[in-house]
Amino acid sequence: MKENNFKTPKINKIEVHLNPCYKSLTFTISKHYKRVFMSTSKSKNLIHSIWNFLGSVKLTIALLVILALVSVLGTLIPQQIDPLEFQGKIHPRLFYLIYSLDMFDLYHSLWFKFIIASLALNLIVCSIIRFPGTWKRFSTVPRPDREKPFESLPPEHSFIVNKNLDDTASATEIFLKTHCKNLIKKKSKEQCFFYCEKGRYSNFGVYLVHLSVLVIIIGGLLGAFFGFEAYVTIPEGKTVNSVTLIKGGIPLALGFEIRCDEFNVSFYDNGTPKEFRSELTFLSERKDVEKKTLLVNHPVNYKGIKFYQASYGAASIKKIHLKIKENGSENKAAIIEAEQGNPELLPQGEGQFMISEIKDNFMNMLGPAVKISIRPKNGPEKDFWIFRNYESISKRFPKLIESSPRLNPSSFKPYVFSLEGFDYNYYTGLQVNKDPGVSIVWAGCFLMVCGFFVTFYSSHRRIWVRISIEKTGLEVKVAGTSSKNPVGLKRNIENIINGLKTILA
Amino acid sequence: MHSSIILSYITFIYFVSFISYLLMLVMGKGLLGRIGTWSSFAGLLAHSAAIILRWINSYKLGMGHAPFSNLYESLVFFSWTIVILYLVVEFRTKNRTLGAFVMPLAFLALAYASFSPDISSHIQPLIPALQSNWLISHVITCFLGYAAFALSFGLSIMYLLKRLDRDEKTKIFMKLIPKPGVLDDLNNQMVVIGFLMLTLGIITGSVWAHSAWGSYWSWDPKETWSLITWLIYAAVLHSRMVRGWRGKRISILCLIGFGCVLFTYFGVNYLPGLHSYAQ
Repeated sequence: MKENNFKTPKINKIEVHLNPCYKSLTFTISKHYKRVFMSTSKSKNLIHSIWNFLGSVKLTIALLVILALVSVLGTLIPQQIDPLEFQGKIHPRLFYLIYSLDMFDLYHSLWFKFIIASLALNLIVCSIIRFPGTWKRFSTVPRPDREKPFESLPPEHSFIVNKNLDDTASATEIFLKTHCKNLIKKKSKEQCFFYCEKGRYSNFGVYLVHLSVLVIIIGGLLGAFFGFEAYVTIPEGKTVNSVTLIKGGIPLALGFEIRCDEFNVSFYDNGTPKEFRSELTFLSERKDVEKKTLLVNHPVNYKGIKFYQASYGAASIKKIHLKIKENGSENKAAIIEAEQGNPELLPQGEGQFMISEIKDNFMNMLGPAVKISIRPKNGPEKDFWIFRNYESISKRFPKLIESSPRLNPSSFKPYVFSLEGFDYNYYTGLQVNKDPGVSIVWAGCFLMVCGFFVTFYSSHRRIWVRISIEKTGLEVKVAGTSSKNPVGLKRNIENIINGLKTILA
Repeated sequence: MHSSIILSYITFIYFVSFISYLLMLVMGKGLLGRIGTWSSFAGLLAHSAAIILRWINSYKLGMGHAPFSNLYESLVFFSWTIVILYLVVEFRTKNRTLGAFVMPLAFLALAYASFSPDISSHIQPLIPALQSNWLISHVITCFLGYAAFALSFGLSIMYLLKRLDRDEKTKIFMKLIPKPGVLDDLNNQMVVIGFLMLTLGIITGSVWAHSAWGSYWSWDPKETWSLITWLIYAAVLHSRMVRGWRGKRISILCLIGFGCVLFTYFGVNYLPGLHSYAQ
């Protein structure tokens, strides 16, 4: 009994995993479990049963259902978040359960990988177990004078002609050759047999599909082991030489540099974004090597690393748009694009002004504002604030504006200043990936679709025709088998019978 | 004329067609069945015209994209795929009973699109992530798959109803429904088409995701739910082809599968994720 000890806990483990989902599995396993304790001589038998269990369709279905249920859990529990954020919201015990089972990153947890690995193992074992049978169906050519297909033949699949055997046989042969390629004929004095078949290869359709699943898993593994996912943000005009890995936030040196020359965002009339465009330059040892334009849906590939347009944002304010109007005259207005700290001339050259400060949200409630310092040729210097939303502010707080010249845009006569907006210096946010498994995944997908067509839409069809001399005349019988699509087979046989009837009439 | 107005009229045509099929089942009058077929066919023609008109209009508005880009347009297309697939099946099987179980789905999809206050029927411009050649192939394959699963759902209900009447005691209502074996076979064909199309939909979707977001699979709820649906139907196919399950068990599994399809389509919008623009 002792030598089997190493096996029993293993079985126990499987039982724990599958028990809630599939009762009959538990039954089979516990049967083996008993067997282990009853007799050691049956250990070979046990291995055999485990092998069969690993290759069984029951296990396949159970794994598919388990995988589906687990995936449902993954869409209900928030994934890849900081567990601490979630801690207070649910019952501590439930939290502990979710946390200890790694369910906040379920799809990357060890036990999820275990399920996928089990499915792969199941596929492989099932293919090995079934291969000899499939090979036999594929390779053996049945005798043309087989009796079995003609047992319980429906009466409409046979008919009588009044001709001699030789003529009938040769006419039949010519007709059947137009229907199928490899016709086998066997003739005796009283009987003549024909056999032909179509779609042998459809026996392997399922293997193609199963292989494709394995190929996709391999492609995924390659990506996970030899690829990386990272991101980087580059302000316009700046150069970077490393990116940050999403896993762990560790920097990764690229071995070359990227500069963002320009980032542009354009909008439709209704305000939805139309295009995000980054003009990138790739550099090697500080020399420009290649210029590329990056758009969403059009990633850029450089030295095997792919760059994707992922996000953007304002890094700093480039220019400030000011409108300067002469008080009283409605038409005369100058638009000036100023930079912070750079002095500009007043419209009629009566002095200089400069933007000395910028606030995104003045006093946290009044919106964007800039502080302007005016230095006229004659007279004292003046500082005051100009608001973007001056009109609504002056309506909301009329007294505040009146009483404080530092908030009044017409503090320097004869002009009224207003803030039109800003030009930003953008940064572009790039997703940076390397995935050597992708092409293998696509190959797997292609294989899967081909496999589906072979599996679902082709069948291994076998047809026997027998002509024999009976008392009433020559009897012609047609029989067939098909791996699937019985309707198609029936139609096929009917076609052959109708064709033979017209030829032999 | 606005395509959305035409489409709201077509909703009523599909309702007429559904009622005709249903009355045909109850009263056994062939004429009603023919009315059902002709009205759904007329509806389909107008429906196709409206979709093409909407496509043209999007070019006139300077946006120029296939009408598959938001929940309204996808519901309209879903309804269209159900009707066209149903009419093909009706034509091939020469049996109209399925219409009483499938046309209500086409009607409901279009009614939801046309009359729900939460759904905007305006033609909207495409955000950058949607500006891709994969949009058309992804949407067409997915919705053909969904439509095939919708037909499988209808056939499964018919199968379960037919089983209630194994002694053939009841009147006409059950008589017109084909034999259980025929239903089972047709259901399998629909599951196969749906599974193939769903697979193509997932593949085109992940090729697209790879070029838009840099990752062909990111366990986003929509992706995950489409995988769940795929797994359920994979289980259906295995239990049928290898374990030899037929009839009742397969029908119940198909009902669950269609539930997953609906959740993939609608339910996921209540979960956060990358497909949330589909709202």
